[in-house]
Amino acid sequence: MRRFQTIKAYLFLSPFLVFFIIVTAYPVLYGGYLSLFGQHGAKMWFVGLSNFKAAFTDPLFWQGFGMPVFLLLVQVPGMIVIAIFIGLLYERIRHSVVYRLIFYLPYALPGVVAGILWSYIFSQSMSPLVALWNLFGVAKPIFITLSSVRWVLLIIILWEWTGYTSLIIYSTLVSIPKEYGEAAQMDGATWFKVAYYIKVPLLRNTVFVLFIFNSIGAMQVFNEPRMINILLTLPQNYTPAMYLYNQAFAYGSFTYSIAMGLVLAAVIFVISFFFMRQSMNELDVHA
Amino acid sequence: MKASHRVRFEVVAILLALFFLLPFYWLVQSTTKDVGQLMQGTFVPGSPNHFIDNLTGVFAYNHGMFIHWLVNSVLYSGVGSVAGTFFAAMAGFAFRRYRFFGRKLLFILILGFALVPGFATTLPLFIEFKNFHFLNTAWSVIVPSVLNVFGVYLMAVYWNQVPEEMFDAAMMDGTRETSIFLRIGLPTIMPGVTTVLLLSFVAIWNNYFLALIMLNRYEVFPLILGITTISSASGWPVYNLTLMGAFLTALPLLILFTTLQRFLAPQLTGSIK
Repeated sequence: MRRFQTIKAYLFLSPFLVFFIIVTAYPVLYGGYLSLFGQHGAKMWFVGLSNFKAAFTDPLFWQGFGMPVFLLLVQVPGMIVIAIFIGLLYERIRHSVVYRLIFYLPYALPGVVAGILWSYIFSQSMSPLVALWNLFGVAKPIFITLSSVRWVLLIIILWEWTGYTSLIIYSTLVSIPKEYGEAAQMDGATWFKVAYYIKVPLLRNTVFVLFIFNSIGAMQVFNEPRMINILLTLPQNYTPAMYLYNQAFAYGSFTYSIAMGLVLAAVIFVISFFFMRQSMNELDVHA
Repeated sequence: MKASHRVRFEVVAILLALFFLLPFYWLVQSTTKDVGQLMQGTFVPGSPNHFIDNLTGVFAYNHGMFIHWLVNSVLYSGVGSVAGTFFAAMAGFAFRRYRFFGRKLLFILILGFALVPGFATTLPLFIEFKNFHFLNTAWSVIVPSVLNVFGVYLMAVYWNQVPEEMFDAAMMDGTRETSIFLRIGLPTIMPGVTTVLLLSFVAIWNNYFLALIMLNRYEVFPLILGITTISSASGWPVYNLTLMGAFLTALPLLILFTTLQRFLAPQLTGSIK
């Protein structure tokens, strides 16, 4: 009986598994193998772990992490705080359905298109913001330059993901029984107190998951800076992902790039693991 | 709650809405401008209006390359999402219905490998496809797009909502497994199937990195890659055509999201920026 079940199960699984092996499982193992080789053009020779050694001592690779770390420290916490505020706001305003759609809409726009749009909006040549800033009496508009580009990137990513995040927060908020807040409000708690002391703590799990996914995303930023790169030449190692891409396709060092990809994967794994353990600990303490 | 509070919240909501809508408005009004008008940096549509010029311009660009890109995008996203969703539904069905050898291990393995970031898998995949002579063909984008690991996970969740009795009743009637899957199972989880289908269609439509790695012939580009290459003979970006191309690339997605919003509620997928 069990054997029949196994045969039937694998028949249903087989199309998926074929693609899974070709597209993920084999490339991961093959990448591990290739990373052990030195390479120049089509020539390859075994070098053991020296690609990894090179990656660990390559300052350009680690400098590239400046941007993800900036996002991790500023964008991710900032966005989650704003998203919690917006999530709470949905409960307080009329026509919240309309606002939810509007705030979600940037998510529907491809990252590439968002990158093109915002880099044009902040470009010296096309920016409509001069008119806007004049309207509000700001004399010196911000344009996209090498020193301001991280803030532009911050705005782009906040614009793309805050609405999406707020909807995830909101879906957790609506699952909180209304009585919780009402009882407190009867006792004279203000809206802010209800939100801060009752609702926000109940969001803990959702916030941890959001932290993990957004940190993973921050480590891999590529599309938006690459679009900015069309207008403003960025350093080849502006983000780790850009460095990987440039090493492979501009300089032809494929096996070195693959080794760095594995290091990046390991960094991401450590971060997810750290957050995961952190959230477990938190839950134990408060359970 | 006090009325003054409510007003304050509404004002905040309106200001946020303006921020979120601003780039959309700017994109739409930009499609009416030629390069000279774009350089004036205003918020009002161009006068005279160049919308039609830009539209015909983008379709005429490089001997009608835009049509190729549009057809490719539809082909890659269509085939990738339909096949991928169907295979994910089958895999999810297997996990739900059978207690088979290696069930748990396989599920963990699939999720574990799914955590490996695209940047670590795409380069070896590039070399693998190079060896297969797959590069620069539709296959090099379609094959990776068919794989939908998160879809399997979502499908397993949807299948778990189908009661056991439903399968038992079908078994009693002597229905074959494939018919149970196709005639009874799939219609029951249709809303879930629609969600996975739409999400993967959008994800493939927007997948810039994969196309960038695998393709370097204009004829096989999807829109998302094609629009970033629009340039003049001397290699300068052509802003008005790029913006029109970006508008046309985003338009189907915006229509999908506004009309089918109930199927496109945000799922906690990994956010790949």
